[in-house]
Amino acid sequence: MTVLQLQELSKTFNGIYALSNINFTINEGEIVGLVGPNGAGKTTLFNLISGRLRPSSGKILFQGKDITGLKPHAVCKLGISRTFQSSRPFPRMSTLHNVLAGQVFGKGFSLHTRPEDEQMAHELLDVVGIAHKAETLAADLTLSEQRRLDLARALATRPKLLLLDEVAAGFSPVLVKQAIKLINRVRERGVNLLIIDHFLNLSQKVADRLLALDHGEKIAEGPPDIVMKNREVLRAYLGMRYQDEEDD
Amino acid sequence: MWTTALVSGISLGSFYILIALGFALIFGVTRNFNLAHGELVVFAGYVSYWLWKVWAWPFVLTFPVAILATLLICLGLQRLFARLCEPLELNSIVLSFGMAILIQNTMLFWFSGDYRLIRIPTLSQGLHLPGFYLSYGQLTLLFLSLTVIAVLYILMYRTYLGKALRATIQDKGAAAQAGINVAVMGTLAFCLGAILIGLAGPLYGCIHYLYPSTGHEITLLAITITIFAGVGRLGGIILAGWILGLAESFAVILFGTSWREMVAAVLLLALLAFKPRGILGKGEQ
Amino acid sequence: MSFFASKNTKFRTQGLRFHSVGLMTGLVLLILLPALVQSNNYILQVFTHALLLANLALAWNILGVSGSISLGHAAFFGAGAYCSAVLSLEYGFSPWFTIPLAGLLAAGLGLIMDLICLRLRGAYFALATLAFVEIPRVITDNWDGLTHGSLGLVGVPGLPSLSLGTWVVDFSASITASYYFVFVYSLVLLGLVRFLFSSNLGLAFQAIREEEIAAEAVGIPANRYRLLSLLLSAYFTGVTGACYAHLVHYIEPGLVYGLHFSAIPMIFAICGGRFTILGPAMAALVIYPLDQFVFHPLLPAGHEFLYGVVLILTVLFLPAGFWGGLRKVS
Repeated sequence: MTVLQLQELSKTFNGIYALSNINFTINEGEIVGLVGPNGAGKTTLFNLISGRLRPSSGKILFQGKDITGLKPHAVCKLGISRTFQSSRPFPRMSTLHNVLAGQVFGKGFSLHTRPEDEQMAHELLDVVGIAHKAETLAADLTLSEQRRLDLARALATRPKLLLLDEVAAGFSPVLVKQAIKLINRVRERGVNLLIIDHFLNLSQKVADRLLALDHGEKIAEGPPDIVMKNREVLRAYLGMRYQDEEDD
Repeated sequence: MWTTALVSGISLGSFYILIALGFALIFGVTRNFNLAHGELVVFAGYVSYWLWKVWAWPFVLTFPVAILATLLICLGLQRLFARLCEPLELNSIVLSFGMAILIQNTMLFWFSGDYRLIRIPTLSQGLHLPGFYLSYGQLTLLFLSLTVIAVLYILMYRTYLGKALRATIQDKGAAAQAGINVAVMGTLAFCLGAILIGLAGPLYGCIHYLYPSTGHEITLLAITITIFAGVGRLGGIILAGWILGLAESFAVILFGTSWREMVAAVLLLALLAFKPRGILGKGEQ
Repeated sequence: MSFFASKNTKFRTQGLRFHSVGLMTGLVLLILLPALVQSNNYILQVFTHALLLANLALAWNILGVSGSISLGHAAFFGAGAYCSAVLSLEYGFSPWFTIPLAGLLAAGLGLIMDLICLRLRGAYFALATLAFVEIPRVITDNWDGLTHGSLGLVGVPGLPSLSLGTWVVDFSASITASYYFVFVYSLVLLGLVRFLFSSNLGLAFQAIREEEIAAEAVGIPANRYRLLSLLLSAYFTGVTGACYAHLVHYIEPGLVYGLHFSAIPMIFAICGGRFTILGPAMAALVIYPLDQFVFHPLLPAGHEFLYGVVLILTVLFLPAGFWGGLRKVS
């Protein structure tokens, strides 16, 4: 069964194509990595799926339902949740309340927080490993903790599809290992993932398939080892590959 | 009647430009909305009125004192603005709103709430030209405003200082990287703004009754013109001032004097609702 | 780590106990005030007005907590005052009926404001509200047939007496009755604000204020909640304006749409603490009597400079407000 289906999806800004004619499908139980160099259109694609931007043409189907042009909050309520490239916590609210906002509003709405909501929020903070910071203001968290908070808040909305924007960018190898563990735990909860992975330090290890974009066009899709050997992908990434090898 | 309205609209509009320039300059360079702008104009008017009425100074000689007085206050204001934290634009609104209340009440204390007018007999005489009437007051407003605009234009577009100011208006960060001392530019903007306010105040006192709470209306005019023009467009400010002057002038003919006060407000709301980056502004919102 | 955490919680509970003792004392003092001042009319009048202003600040803060700073609440205040005054004075309706109706008119105005300001945030929203007041003001000023224009409305009827069984509350006989009326209204509004802010609506308001894009991404329809906070805020500002008209008996456009009633609720809310429940009301109950009892006798003209100074000092040195550091909304 397909979870997400993109049909001929395009987005133009002032007549310039940021994305053109993207066709892609995510199947039940899959983790898909979204790769491509800077400006390839990865974040634009996220913004289209999550409802922040309206597509210029094309369709987005989620679990068979047309969600093209829906507002972000409506998309979230249907079961798509996202994190942001640079995390966007609610700075002057406690970590717990950050997650509670997702828990309370992610699916429906209840006027008062139920005990099970609070318990669930604590559990999620535990899953991402910042349970001890529940009462801290989000603004006082470290950057890596804020990213975890972003993830916990997104999970609190009980998504069927989770869009992760550069979760592991700039992470040390140890942190990347933690992130992989975390992603596998998320997958066990029955969540499908689409992961933007510009630096390719995550998707090769967890993704079932990769979608490679360049200049707003799909240049390859398939299992990670095959996509990473694709000539177009190599060419798009060439500079980047050298850089990575030097860093390693 | 229509030509008279046209002439008075253009002359009034030119004066509005003079009023708005200081506000726009300070906003452009420092991103501070100075809601005490109108109060400062009225204050400058009061200073001039006092010298002219009580000490019987010639009206022209009151300008330098009015300018000096506003200059001192503006430099003090700038110190306070400089202490604000982000979000700068919003906090500057709240801060200067408090400042406006403070200045308004200080004027109420010193000058009382009575209506004052700098009555210069020659200014209310005028020329009967075929088809319309042009008072010397209108002529003076037109002439002085256009002169100030011309001087400011030369300063902004023909000198290195102006180039630095314009660079700061366009992009503070980039200007700083290019070696422009942004803080000094901020102080300079406040000084230039103060001079413009010091010029506008006494003139305002000639064409309009001075009382402490009238500053609010001036502030609204300045905001409207600045938002209309978008940031850093001298030409836009001129256009906006004339349009506003004409709109008010025709509103008086069409609907009556009492509706005039709504023109600026409606224009500002329409602008904010549809074109928050200014009529001439580009790019997405 | 845990050491700090426990210490922190302890400090908090101590603070709370201190607060509740202080609050109870304040509440008791307010209840006993008419007896304490032996119905000294002037003192009671000042505190009645202070409570009205406290209500304005509380109402303003319903919008304030969702992140919008309004400089134009006089629009709602004036519209409420005029609506109730005209309906009771010219058409003979009972103020008990016209006061809630005035709130509805103000909320309608709030809806119009929301349509205009839909896309505006922060500074630009504030500027729009500043201009917005002019519209109801100039309309009221020009609608001579209904409002008597700039002459204002004289002799607005007072609140009719209430009879609860055999006990009759006559508002025209003493200021004490009016004082208690406004006091009860304050308690009701405070209770409502407390309920709002501590419920999940408050959570939504805060989330929108803190990071709108993220709030929408977790399923909060930001525009709808911002509208809700604006409508509630406008409604209670309108109701307070109506109460003002019936208590003062005289209104004119320059007064009720004046800068004063836009500035005062904002100043109290910001000084008291924009993100707190009680702060705005506390500030009103401290600053307004201070103004009336100390500064007004000293400086009959210009005593309101106090509000400007208080606002400037708060913005520069205490951005969270006086009460803000002590107690958070959540």
